[in-house]
Amino acid sequence: MAEEFEPRIVAFLCKWCSSAGADLAGVSRMEYPPNIIPIQVMCSGSVSPLYIFSALSHGADGVLVSGCHPGDCHYIKGNYYARRRLALVKKLLEYIGLEPQRFQMSWVSATEGIKFTQIVKDLVRELQPLGPQNKLRRKF
Amino acid sequence: MVSLEQLKEEVKKILSSGNIKYFIGYESLGSGWQVRPAFMRKPEEVDRLVWTPACFHNLVRFLHDEKRRRAREKNPDTRPVGLLVKGCDSRAINVLVQEKYIERKDVYLIGVSCELLGVIDEVKLKRHLPGLKPQKVLFGQKETIKVITDDDKEIEIEASEILADRCLECPANFPVVADIILGEKIKKNVTSPYQSISPYERMSVEERWSFWQGQFSRCLRCYACRSVCPMCYCDECVADSIAYAVTADTTADEKAQKIKWVERNPEPSENIFYHLVRAIHLAGRCVDCGECERVCPVEIPLRLLNKKLEKEARELFGYEVGFDASQPPLIACFRDNDPQDFIR
Amino acid sequence: MEKIIQKSAFPQWLKSLQAFKIFLPKRASYGWELSSNHELQEIPEDYTYPVVPPKKLIFPQEEIFFEFEQNPEDGIKLKEILPEAEQQVIFGVRPCDGRAVKAMDLVFGGTYEDPYYWRRRRQTVLVGLACSQPPSENCFCLSVEGSPSSEEGLDILLTDLGDRYFVKAITEQGKSLLSAASSLFSEPGTRDREAREKIHLEAEKKIKRHLPSARELPERIKAIFDSDFWDEESLNCLRCGICTYLCPTCHCFDINDETKSLAPLKGRRVRTWDTCQFPDFTMHSSGHNPRPDRASRLRQRLSHKFLYFILLFDRFQCVGCGRCVTLCPVGIDIIEVLTRARNHGA
Repeated sequence: MAEEFEPRIVAFLCKWCSSAGADLAGVSRMEYPPNIIPIQVMCSGSVSPLYIFSALSHGADGVLVSGCHPGDCHYIKGNYYARRRLALVKKLLEYIGLEPQRFQMSWVSATEGIKFTQIVKDLVRELQPLGPQNKLRRKF
Repeated sequence: MVSLEQLKEEVKKILSSGNIKYFIGYESLGSGWQVRPAFMRKPEEVDRLVWTPACFHNLVRFLHDEKRRRAREKNPDTRPVGLLVKGCDSRAINVLVQEKYIERKDVYLIGVSCELLGVIDEVKLKRHLPGLKPQKVLFGQKETIKVITDDDKEIEIEASEILADRCLECPANFPVVADIILGEKIKKNVTSPYQSISPYERMSVEERWSFWQGQFSRCLRCYACRSVCPMCYCDECVADSIAYAVTADTTADEKAQKIKWVERNPEPSENIFYHLVRAIHLAGRCVDCGECERVCPVEIPLRLLNKKLEKEARELFGYEVGFDASQPPLIACFRDNDPQDFIR
Repeated sequence: MEKIIQKSAFPQWLKSLQAFKIFLPKRASYGWELSSNHELQEIPEDYTYPVVPPKKLIFPQEEIFFEFEQNPEDGIKLKEILPEAEQQVIFGVRPCDGRAVKAMDLVFGGTYEDPYYWRRRRQTVLVGLACSQPPSENCFCLSVEGSPSSEEGLDILLTDLGDRYFVKAITEQGKSLLSAASSLFSEPGTRDREAREKIHLEAEKKIKRHLPSARELPERIKAIFDSDFWDEESLNCLRCGICTYLCPTCHCFDINDETKSLAPLKGRRVRTWDTCQFPDFTMHSSGHNPRPDRASRLRQRLSHKFLYFILLFDRFQCVGCGRCVTLCPVGIDIIEVLTRARNHGA
């Protein structure tokens, strides 16, 4: 049986919403692919473009940043800043020739365990045909 | 046409008044058509001044040195610094004021309008004169650039063929902030302000990658692009610092735990990381003065990266760089209806 | 050994050197570069010199020293990584760049030989090309005891005689390069020798820039060490690395450990180019920096080239290639600076 490529996805999840949503999925015993490496951040607004570039540089096949829905940020405005800043990062990465599916953002609230599992499933499905990320990966 | 005599008069006036510390303008290199930044302290020195299509340098960059000088001195001279600014340079001043790096009163700006011309691109110049050596490059009448070769031939070249790409897409051909402006304030009609990046936007993902990878494999990491940028004023660059702020009080822990985002070696992955970080840090701040691209010894077309983000800033967020010193920085503000169609 | 080879036979000579990695000048968008592309078969007529000098092929910008890895049984193991055993021939080396390699040989040789440098150096054959005209507006090799036909540092010196090259094999390595295709080489006649002499002499006359009485500079630079002359001269400096990275003799380096993982510890030690023009170059871990400003760093660069190297090796480190003058983004011209230095306070 051919070994299918399993993408490794680094997921920056905001503590108050998305990480809680992921925990809910776990506690409710919902199944979803084990391809993500979750990193809890305090707020999606605290995710620096450097984290994303660094994840890709260390060999991540995909990067997900997930935060609270607009209006629901624990720090009031953090996710609005994230929305703006990460839109620019997405445009820049696509412009230099990285496949657009490799960097994605989502809004997942603390009750949206199902949505979270769906996002991970979709991501894995989209990244599998692309193969390993060799463009920005450090070769040493 | 900007009168050089009038320019010299204005500089002489402000230097004689003693109200500025020194004036930064342009002077001719020893021989030939090129120019370089010139620091003038005494009124007699104004005869060194020139104003030609070779005045590409963004003199706003030298404000970093002034600020560092003041930080080092016990009793710094706080008189403003005089600067010669073109349209693009003046927008850089607005960005620095907006970010509170300098105050408007720290600079005395003598603005010059590029009118319907601008500065030339040295590569295009060489292409137009195969085998010939330019001795002088001057503003021509009617949208042309006049070149005098070293065997005294005079050649008129259409501006559109020899001006720097950024001048062909210029949103501000005369200063938007200055104490006085010389030359006519005629707005240049630019039909396609993002002409230079559209071929790359139209490419497929793989074509784009092939192009950029080829470009970044040449990078020597000399950091000239960063060193010449007026907006790259951080003492310690987060991407790869060549000037760590280490003092006697810095603890060993702090030194050991400094995050190294980019390795010093010029592997393509590291080169790309550095350029991506620089581009994203310049989003909403780059005024497209084109210097990063001009100074690169291996001619990487760097302004294409920054121009793309400038376009996105305008189209996604309605943000224009450098026209209003009171507006907040691009990533320090947001609108309720910022696009989020890319968010699941 | 002196020979003639017709330019039409040049590709065949290249073919006979298949055992080597062959570098030839290649036209790039930004100028010339030395490339090992197999499709290159000649040295183009309008070739000047490569923007990035041949030092990159002997003293690369990234040199891996060793890899280290930790495993539970044996602890930390080091694996030395020497440069690959690969012979290389570089064509189109201008005499200034040849002299520059000689200068670097002095630095990396002597009592303690740098194994990484010498492994590559001994695998490299430098085939020079005498200048028929100055490759750059800013060449001044004559002023620093070089010449457009200098043989120093080179294994072979070619002179372009139009439809043929005059080939002078200087070292044993150079001679051995000819032996693999000896049928392509013929004996030079009087006309060939005269043509060669003429080209070499004419080339010297075409050099436009000069730094007269350069041997007076060491004393003058020493005398104005504490002067504020350097503050004025360095006002334009952006503290980028262009002058030093593109200088054929600059060789300062940085050594970094690149850690791939911390537990288990895995990584490698890498030497990269560094430049005295970066503020951190002389930063001590105490926070003290003996060269904290651009004035002291400009002074350092010029002193290294025109004073310290003279004291150490009795020759200029600068070979007069003019790259730093042409490429400095803000027009700092060392010929002008040194001329002013000589006259300052004299």
